[in-house]
Amino acid sequence: MGDDKQLDLLQGTLDLLILKAVSLGPLHGYGVLLRIQQISGQALVIQQGSLYPALYRLEHQGAIASDWGESENNRKAKFYRLTTAGRLRLEEETEKWNRMVGTMGAILLTQPEGA
Amino acid sequence: MKRLYLLLTRMLAQPRSWFWAMSQRSRLEAEMEAELALHLESLAADLVRAGYPPAEAARRARVELGSAVVHKDGMRASLGLRWWDGLIADLRYACRRLRRSVIFTTIAVVSLALAIGANTAIFSVAKQVLYERFAVPNPANLRILAWSAKTGLMRGVWGDYNQLPAGHVGSSGFSYPAYEQLRKQNRLFEDLFATKRAGANAIVQGNAQQVSVEMVSANYYAALGVGPQLGRVIQGLDDAGANSAPVAVLSDDFWLRVFGRSTAVLGQTIQMNGTTFLIVGVNPHGFSGVSGFQQSPDLFVPLGMQPVISPHGSAGTLLTDTDTWWVNVMGRLRPDVSDASVQSVLDAQFKAIVRATMPGQTGEEPPQLQLRDGSRGLFPSQDEFAKPMAVLLTLAGFVLLLACANIANLMLARGAQRQREISVRIALGAGRARLLRQMLVESLLLAFLGGVAGLAVGYIGGLRIPKLMQSPWEHGRLQIHFDWEVFAFTAAITLLTGVLFGLAPAWIAARSEVNAGLKKSATSVTRRRKGWGGKSLVGFQIALSTLLVVGAGLFLRTLAGLNAVDVGFRTDHLLLAEVRPTSQQYPLGKDIQLHQQLEREIAAIPGVESVAAAAYPYIAGEIGQTFFVPEGEADKNDGSQMQYVVDVGNDFFPTLQIPILAGRGFGPQDTPTSAHVAVINASLARLRFSGQNPLGKRFRVGMHPSDSNSGGWVQIVGISADTHFSSLRDTLPPQFFLPYVQWPGVGSMTYEIRTQVDAKSIFPALRRAVQRADRNLPLINVRTQQQQIQADMQQERMFVALTSGFGLLALALASVGVYGIMAYSVAQRTNEIGIRLALGALPRQVLGMILSEAAWISLGGIAVGLIAALLLARLVRSMLYGLQPSDPVSLMAGAGLLIAVALAASWLPARRAASVQPMDALRHE
Repeated sequence: MGDDKQLDLLQGTLDLLILKAVSLGPLHGYGVLLRIQQISGQALVIQQGSLYPALYRLEHQGAIASDWGESENNRKAKFYRLTTAGRLRLEEETEKWNRMVGTMGAILLTQPEGA
Repeated sequence: MKRLYLLLTRMLAQPRSWFWAMSQRSRLEAEMEAELALHLESLAADLVRAGYPPAEAARRARVELGSAVVHKDGMRASLGLRWWDGLIADLRYACRRLRRSVIFTTIAVVSLALAIGANTAIFSVAKQVLYERFAVPNPANLRILAWSAKTGLMRGVWGDYNQLPAGHVGSSGFSYPAYEQLRKQNRLFEDLFATKRAGANAIVQGNAQQVSVEMVSANYYAALGVGPQLGRVIQGLDDAGANSAPVAVLSDDFWLRVFGRSTAVLGQTIQMNGTTFLIVGVNPHGFSGVSGFQQSPDLFVPLGMQPVISPHGSAGTLLTDTDTWWVNVMGRLRPDVSDASVQSVLDAQFKAIVRATMPGQTGEEPPQLQLRDGSRGLFPSQDEFAKPMAVLLTLAGFVLLLACANIANLMLARGAQRQREISVRIALGAGRARLLRQMLVESLLLAFLGGVAGLAVGYIGGLRIPKLMQSPWEHGRLQIHFDWEVFAFTAAITLLTGVLFGLAPAWIAARSEVNAGLKKSATSVTRRRKGWGGKSLVGFQIALSTLLVVGAGLFLRTLAGLNAVDVGFRTDHLLLAEVRPTSQQYPLGKDIQLHQQLEREIAAIPGVESVAAAAYPYIAGEIGQTFFVPEGEADKNDGSQMQYVVDVGNDFFPTLQIPILAGRGFGPQDTPTSAHVAVINASLARLRFSGQNPLGKRFRVGMHPSDSNSGGWVQIVGISADTHFSSLRDTLPPQFFLPYVQWPGVGSMTYEIRTQVDAKSIFPALRRAVQRADRNLPLINVRTQQQQIQADMQQERMFVALTSGFGLLALALASVGVYGIMAYSVAQRTNEIGIRLALGALPRQVLGMILSEAAWISLGGIAVGLIAALLLARLVRSMLYGLQPSDPVSLMAGAGLLIAVALAASWLPARRAASVQPMDALRHE
């Protein structure tokens, strides 16, 4: 049940991570996972299972689109790519994230009075 | 902007994705499976590359990925399928549960079907009767002209003539010259047109038949905006006063009935009242003239043909008569004028016209012109039907409420039985909302089944109710259409019903305690709390049932009272038949001879005891009035000297068996050449001759003092007993009788034929007798006097039929409710009863305990019901006859019936309680 809380926090960020990962080129589900791990420098480990509901949700909302193709070892795989709406959403979410980080950072850097 | 674009794309993408998922479900499942499988494989492969042995790698991969089932469920949830899947599952489960408890389902569906059906039927009839509007463009700006005046001012009225308060009368008939003047002066209406409905004798397919005719002015069709479906309509020079053309337009119904919709009908002719009319067109389907919706007049002819179709007065034509008020005037208002301004302008014009035609007579109070809404026709049934329809709708609503209470009660009991199942579900993780939804789906499914069956019941009811509203010999066919509004109404009340009886039990069940439900035994304290809800519901049901049963009782007693009214003459074996000779073929004098001949012919028919013609029959809503000025009284130019009068044949009194209290009736000594005589009834004697002996006194008769029919003195030779006149509810009014043979002409007469055998059986001989006199004379409205009287009670009879149906349904539902709650209560208290019996209570005492519990609930409900009945019955006081709204007999009978039903329904559970074995009961928990 504790994982629930972690998932809640991460849902918005998970979407953002997926969008970013897919923006760099079409990927299938496992590939998205690997890429996120890769570009985070192995610092971020995502629960495997939470990936697919998130992917399906983003596709349902029209941010990513899927096509069936062939994976590296010649198996049929579903590849996800970013749509125009998805690209716009990525930009917007990135901007929001940066703003939040900046605000949080400013708050956390505040010194107590007269210290 | 960006945000808007994102929002829009999301809103478009989601439904599309959902639809794809729904339609390609199996493919979706396969794809999800494949995707997860690939993921697993890739993960395992990577682990192998990292150094793990294949079996270990596969295991670790499976652990890391987690449960595929959970992920797939999450994926489905993302697509919005979970909600839908849940709903389908709920529906399937509800079906299974309903199928398993067949008795409950049947009772519920049948009671719902009857209740919803009753509501639908009455709604469809009420909507049509009260709100239907004409099938012409823009019916909302049609207006009807009418006037009101002091009684006696406007003398010659042919048509509707209504008594208004304060000694006034009103009518919608205008004189033809007045109409022409109003039309010439009109600036505020697009046009004013005139119309009059009448009957005529026609030869249709070789048979003499009565047809209904609407006489219309030339601009009628143009003003209404109605065109023909075949040929042309009445227009232009067709209606030119005395030079009108004898053309006719058929109604769609007549065209179907008589000509089978053949297009060769144009150019054919039809004979009416001896004149040949050329058929020039057919009205569109659904157009029924302006008189009303019941049935379209068969033929439409120019107004100028009035002297042929319906001659009146000595000249026959009314087109130049300024003193007879007969033609209906309607118009379409210009869009920019207000009703008030139009009314004042027209009123001024009308007063001027009347003053010009009746100089010096209007005095200080000339007649007033009124503007009425014309969108529903000349005689909207709204006036007479509004209240009855409202009452019926309310009662039907109560029945529905009762059915809902019944089912809610049953569902409460079912919910209590499901206690364990629900507790298990909650323990397994089901949310309360989910449980609530499942139970609501079950109630809505039940309601849906009831609603569909109810639609069928309502359709049948919608066909039968109009038959209850009409008399069997009239051919008006009130057609109830089942249109989308009725469907919407049914759907709405079905939904409401489902929520009403489903929500509360579902709510209660979903809030149950998990622990208590899972334990095998539960304290009766918890149960007792729920028992109150059920008991108060049953009390509510009984209250409603009492209300409905008392209502039925009131109307039953009203009908019984009306049936028992002594009309003052013998009503059995009396056949009525009307003959309407046209004035072309039977001018004044010849019609008298015809009626005398017919009286002789009919009297000769075997099986006929005696026969008399009368100007109109009794208890048929018809009246005739004229001035009655006794010798010595001055002529007053108001209505106070008018009395009801009936022109009758010489055998009238013996035929109807009205006793003669003094003097004599009419007889063979009264001929056209003997002294003019009359008979008055006891009420008239009391009214106009109080304290004196009327026999031998003389009086003058006539519509106007200058009437050519009056002038001579009439002598009173007899006093007859009082009879009811135009309806069963009237107060034995004063009337006087004149022998028709002594007057120049009478027109149509109704033959009152007393038979020794069954009245209807002489009909063929009767028709032959009339045809012997004139082959082209139809017999009109043949019925027995008893049928006529029944028709006067038509509305009461319809009410009794419907309210007793409701009452019976209410009793059935109440008994089911009481049985249900008592059975449930006994089942819950088995433990307690076992203890009582073990401690020494006699089975008899247990029986008494259960019965008295039922009795108390019932008494509570009955008390509330009686109070409600007392309050509501006051609203229908005008519809009752011979009893007060607080009629004790009905109230007592209703209460008694309900108590009896409640006790009978609780007998079985009580007996079951009394026969409980203490040992089994103590073991049962």
